[in-house]
Amino acid sequence: MTSRNSFWASCRENHKRRIWVWIVAVLSQLLMYGGMTMIYLSRIRGFHADGSFKTPGEFEQAMCQAAKDALGFSDNLYGCIFILAAIIGMQGFSYLFEQRKVDMYHSVPVSKNRRFAVVYVNGLMIYLTAHLSGMVLGMILSAAQGAVNGEVLAEAGIAFVWNFFFFLVCYHLMILVVMLTGNRFVTISLFLAAAFYEIALNSMFERLRSVFFETYSVHFLQSRPKFSALYDYTSNIWQLKNMPDAAAAARLSMPLVGKWIGISAVLLAFGWFAYRKRPSETAGKAVAHRFLEPVFKVAAAIPAAFTTGALVYDTSYQNEALLVASMLAGGLIVCAVMEVIYDFDIRSLFHHLFSSGVALAGILAIFCVHKWDLFGYDSYIPAQNKVESIAISAGGYYDSYWDENWQYVEQGRFEADHMFLTDVSPVLTLVEAAGQADPEEMEDKRYVEILYRLHSGRQKSRRILVDYDDPDTEETLNRIFRTDAYQNGVFQVMQDQNLLENMNRIYYSNGPAQSVIPVEEADRLKAAWLKDMEQFDFTLVRHNRPCGVICFDYKNYNRRQLLVYNSFENTIAALKELEAYYPMELDAADVESVTVTCYHNELAEQENPVDYGIEARAVAETEAWDYTDYSVSETFYEEEQIAQILPHLYCNRVDAPWSRYKDLDDNYSVEVVFKRDTTYPYERDSYYFAYSFYAEQVPAFVAEATAYTGEE
Amino acid sequence: MIEIHNLTKRFEDIRAVDEVSVEIREKTVFGLIGTNGAGKSTVLRMIAGVLKPDEGTVAVDNMPVYDNVEAKKRLFFIADEPYFFVNSNARAMEKYYSGIYEAFDREEFYRYLEKFNLDRNRKVSTFSKGMKKQLALLLGICAHTKYILCDETFDGLDPVMRQGIKSIFAKEMEERGLTPVIASHNLRELEDICDHVGLLHKGGVLLSRDLEDMKCNIQKVQCVFGAVEDERKALSGLEVLKKEQRGSLCTITARSTREEVEARFATVDTIFYEVLPLSLEEIFISETEVAGYDIKKLILG
Repeated sequence: MTSRNSFWASCRENHKRRIWVWIVAVLSQLLMYGGMTMIYLSRIRGFHADGSFKTPGEFEQAMCQAAKDALGFSDNLYGCIFILAAIIGMQGFSYLFEQRKVDMYHSVPVSKNRRFAVVYVNGLMIYLTAHLSGMVLGMILSAAQGAVNGEVLAEAGIAFVWNFFFFLVCYHLMILVVMLTGNRFVTISLFLAAAFYEIALNSMFERLRSVFFETYSVHFLQSRPKFSALYDYTSNIWQLKNMPDAAAAARLSMPLVGKWIGISAVLLAFGWFAYRKRPSETAGKAVAHRFLEPVFKVAAAIPAAFTTGALVYDTSYQNEALLVASMLAGGLIVCAVMEVIYDFDIRSLFHHLFSSGVALAGILAIFCVHKWDLFGYDSYIPAQNKVESIAISAGGYYDSYWDENWQYVEQGRFEADHMFLTDVSPVLTLVEAAGQADPEEMEDKRYVEILYRLHSGRQKSRRILVDYDDPDTEETLNRIFRTDAYQNGVFQVMQDQNLLENMNRIYYSNGPAQSVIPVEEADRLKAAWLKDMEQFDFTLVRHNRPCGVICFDYKNYNRRQLLVYNSFENTIAALKELEAYYPMELDAADVESVTVTCYHNELAEQENPVDYGIEARAVAETEAWDYTDYSVSETFYEEEQIAQILPHLYCNRVDAPWSRYKDLDDNYSVEVVFKRDTTYPYERDSYYFAYSFYAEQVPAFVAEATAYTGEE
Repeated sequence: MIEIHNLTKRFEDIRAVDEVSVEIREKTVFGLIGTNGAGKSTVLRMIAGVLKPDEGTVAVDNMPVYDNVEAKKRLFFIADEPYFFVNSNARAMEKYYSGIYEAFDREEFYRYLEKFNLDRNRKVSTFSKGMKKQLALLLGICAHTKYILCDETFDGLDPVMRQGIKSIFAKEMEERGLTPVIASHNLRELEDICDHVGLLHKGGVLLSRDLEDMKCNIQKVQCVFGAVEDERKALSGLEVLKKEQRGSLCTITARSTREEVEARFATVDTIFYEVLPLSLEEIFISETEVAGYDIKKLILG
């Protein structure tokens, strides 16, 4: 028989006080899961009715995928769970906010430990019952429509664990917050502030670094909140939703769940400690522990000040005086508001000026550290013997990368994971030279991103400006570009083990032409290309533009691009053997017309020498931009004229990474229209193809025909 | 016994209770009197284990009470504004308390409810203030704890109900040795119920006496002396606390037993004399005036 005063009897009694929470929790989960399941499955049925699925198997697979979307990882749930955790956590311990309730609960012969345990366990039971009810309903609805299989069950199970521990972190956070505060308004405010605090702080420091540090880089390393479950959830849910199977989802989610268990345990321990130390007489007050008032005040003032500052800084076009003034004003206002909240008295605006002073001093200190780079962020160059390896991303090359699950991976992430330059001296040479160079004197300045992996295990990333036209820079970059480590980290195709897996097609393109190649030829083409890549260095890519590109198309719209240069004899020979090679230079016989437009930039700049930067935008916002169009276009139909133009053209569709901007004439644009009846395999979807003239190669008759005369 | 020793409690800069030391003996009705803000509720809350003293100790039957379930099992605290669960009725409150206090007597509770005309199924939120206090008292009585702590509980009860509660207290004290501790700002509320009174002022105890002792040791005599010499003779050897003269009628308040006063007045020539009963108020006035306080300002306002 259960004792009248047993734990479970206490739980049962406590549940009676929490009926509305039960109702809200269960209803929300039933609606979420039931609703999502019905909507997703109904959508698939609709597609099916429209004949979108070719086979019953496809339809069945789509139904299961829809059930998985509804019952597995979903980005529709975290808001609901976050709010539920807040409600359950706050309502359970809200008796602490009212003196009458405290008088009753703390005078009866129930130990503090027991009461905490009862309320805590009941909160968990409410969530678990509600969440499981929702999942069971969704499962029943899915099963009734034949949309449940092992994969659905497995992913639903993993998602349940993921969601539960996310709930636990939020729940424990709310419990801690309740123990630190004394009324509902402050509790809700502090809970929201605490939940988003690390994100806000992180974003504040990111912003400060990006504004004040020249070498600040987010290419390889981006400072991310480390203890924010909310951030973890939201930043990973999309990837989790799109995982190929439950095992892959588990590999990504479970380490985070492990972290959340640790965070929630720490939060609970603090919550418990604060509960034990919480004086009963603080019911109804803003903060339960008086010594925390200045702490909260300073903690709130700093990010609020920088948010205000950022707002003013952006809208005032980077006025630093206004930035400082607005930060101090913002900080001061928040301090005053906090004092009013603490005392619930408007006359308390300027109480406790010492802590307000500390907050303002903190704000100024953070500003000064960044403004004058007091810790030498920009001048950081690690000692060579402290660097284990380096990854470098020389600006100019962009490609798409993906992981083993065929999911998109950011370029910086891929390079960081795959590029390990152990010969670090060329990079450090580059960094030292960049530190001494004057960016104003650089002919072709580009950003180079660097990731230092130190022997200590720490990683640091920086960004430097280098002059690609500088011969010393070219030589240093050659030493880097020639290494396998660099090429492996830049060209993912070099690491592909099974080239044909999930490959849809191969084609070679010189811009307009697309010649399809059998996928079986992939390995052969790659082998030829790798042979040619032995000559790859910075000088090659700097002074040459690719004559075409070989594209390997994979599932999920993933694509590998193999740049082909004129000097890539093996690749070109293989392409020719496959009758897939088309040179960059077109045959005039295939071309219907060439339209050349000269913009006469020299005239436009003469008329309006304003820098097209901040000032120009500022003017643009206040008055209409008075712009004279000096462009002159001429279309050439004569085959003879076209034949004189074509050798000097480069197709804009072909990327030429690292190449010189000045290699092409930006004063002219060219549109090439092919003859409809030509056998040239140009893409028929396009009416014309955009080209550019090589610099200083515009034929005289073209320049004459597009000269500006001032006539309409 | 409840032993309070050097009890001190501060709320930020305010010293709400300042080194209070009192003993509350079993089977007595202890009245805790003081103005608003004197610290009565704070003392009761510390006795009930709601508040933790900053200094000093509270021991209930030799057990510290703060966060001590065993000690709290012997106490039932009725706050000045008792809390009842939202939308609850008397039955629901009974279920809650009977789940906590093992000795809770349900039958007795429902019997009392009928006696006091309180509907067990009616929502407590629809009760009047007095009815809520009655319900709280009945719950406290039926919890069968050794001590019941009432904070301003009798204020606002009509005389009939007060009498009813008083008789229940008397019965429970006799049957099982209940010890009520009643805090009030109103001396007259406690006059006919307390055995022992503690007077709190500005957080400290001004005095703590058995009411009977006080009554027995202070006498009020109205008399008309035959001659001045008789008056001098009668009052010599008596500790006169107060003397009022209206014409020839003299009202004397003196610290002494009734027998001693009567014996002394019997030896002198008086035209008329009578030993009158003292109200609690008069006793307090006398006692506190001796201590240099004006009780009317403290309690009676």
